[in-house]
Amino acid sequence: MEKQDLGAQLIAWRQEQKKESIRYVLLSIAGICSVLAIWQAAAMLGLVDAKLLPAPTKILETLIFKLGNKAPDGNVLGMNIMASLRVALSGFLTAIVIGVPLGLLMGWWTYADRFIRPIFELVRPVPPIAWIPLVVVWMGVGLKAKALIIFFTAFVPCVINSYTGIKLTSRTLIDVSRTFGAPNHEIFWKVGVPSSLPMVFAGIRVALGNSWSTLVAAEMLAASAGLGYMIQIGRTVARPDIVIVGMVVIGGIGAVLSLILSRAERYFLRWKVDR
Amino acid sequence: MDQKTTKQKNIHNVLYWGLPVLAVALIVVGWIAFSGAHPELMPSPLQVWQRFLKTFTKPIAKTTLLGHAWASLRRVLLALLVSWAFGISFGILIGWNKKARAFFGSIFEVIRPIPPIAWIPIIIMWFGIGEFPKILLVFIGTFVPLVINTSTGIEMVDRINIHVGRIFGGNDGQILKDIVIPTALPSIFAGIRTSVSSGWTTVLAAEMLGANAGLGSLVTRGWQGSDLSLVMVAVITIAIIGALLSTILQKLEKVVCPWND
Repeated sequence: MEKQDLGAQLIAWRQEQKKESIRYVLLSIAGICSVLAIWQAAAMLGLVDAKLLPAPTKILETLIFKLGNKAPDGNVLGMNIMASLRVALSGFLTAIVIGVPLGLLMGWWTYADRFIRPIFELVRPVPPIAWIPLVVVWMGVGLKAKALIIFFTAFVPCVINSYTGIKLTSRTLIDVSRTFGAPNHEIFWKVGVPSSLPMVFAGIRVALGNSWSTLVAAEMLAASAGLGYMIQIGRTVARPDIVIVGMVVIGGIGAVLSLILSRAERYFLRWKVDR
Repeated sequence: MDQKTTKQKNIHNVLYWGLPVLAVALIVVGWIAFSGAHPELMPSPLQVWQRFLKTFTKPIAKTTLLGHAWASLRRVLLALLVSWAFGISFGILIGWNKKARAFFGSIFEVIRPIPPIAWIPIIIMWFGIGEFPKILLVFIGTFVPLVINTSTGIEMVDRINIHVGRIFGGNDGQILKDIVIPTALPSIFAGIRTSVSSGWTTVLAAEMLGANAGLGSLVTRGWQGSDLSLVMVAVITIAIIGALLSTILQKLEKVVCPWND
């Protein structure tokens, strides 16, 4: 009897939980919808100047228009997206390929640390955006130049996190491997590197965010295609709808990229036990 | 045997102290060699030093280097004050209250992935290139990390601690003030640290795209006037101030949350 009561209670409690989570989902939708509704109403009633803030419906219209039209910046939306992705990903991937091993090396071998660190510490405090003029003077405004700027911004978190991650390797694990006679480089590969991976991924995530936001700056200062270029042109020809479409697309792609990355992270770290 | 270990120790010492010196020497030599071979691509260290001194005797846009540095710093500080006040309270609100998180959190999540720099064109369209739009941009750039860190910190507070507080008869306000916020403090401070470095980057971007004063405007001015020495002076100043800011915050963190290592 008592058992049944408990069971019934549990079911009731679960239903209550389910109802509550539905309520929260509805509330989130209500939040976004109310912002859009206020925006739309303000635009339709003429409370905001359409030359400064067009209505959401107008933004949607422009988004669809940009899918097949080159005006006003000379590229359809898809081409701008491809141009931006190409720059961001080439800089980002180069930073991972160079930065992560470098950080791991510095964290494991003291001499590597002593040699690389002064160079790294000199470069690190310079915000990547400040490199733009020098890089443009050195390499022009092509893919390589922009990828180099993205590289600077993604490189730093890759190095720092890999370094910290491998430094945090449990002393006990290292000592056990040593006791069992493993040479240093084997401990590095089989103990140090795996145990640093969660931190490395955290660094890669920061690097991705940095890459995507610096890309916009790089393209606004010097480019002939890309999403940053598109919003910059949108500003010069006084088309706020183009600018906002650009912002929305940049935000959307940024969110998708970070989603893909967290999926990849879950796949690579599937052996990790959460406690 | 003994002799061998002292010899090894000596080698270790030479490498340990010699390598950093070697690294810095390589940079300096590399810089001098590169600027010697391609003076049009890179000014020499001496030229940069002379340009640095000249910023004090011959003002750029009516102020010295220090004036420009202060213009940038002032924008960041003003924006930070506003964004600390709003960002931390908003973070506490959506971290603590589930309904508020559902309603406002969703709006925040939609805006969040837009990089602060992507706001620059629309904000210039709305407000021009005066002082307010720049502070607003820095506010946007610093608000996001603060809210994320604060709300995560609040959510991560151990349920047990809250239950204990409740059993001892604490009301919501007391639990928030005495249990939740102190526990979330390291996380909030991490948000503050991120906000400062993010603010420093954002102000430069804003200034590079249109300003009469500030270190970012010096970078653009040097770039457009083919005065690379001025670009270098500005970049080095930016780096030094950025490094100083992060050192100050590290020290401050030790004072504010000494239990956090």
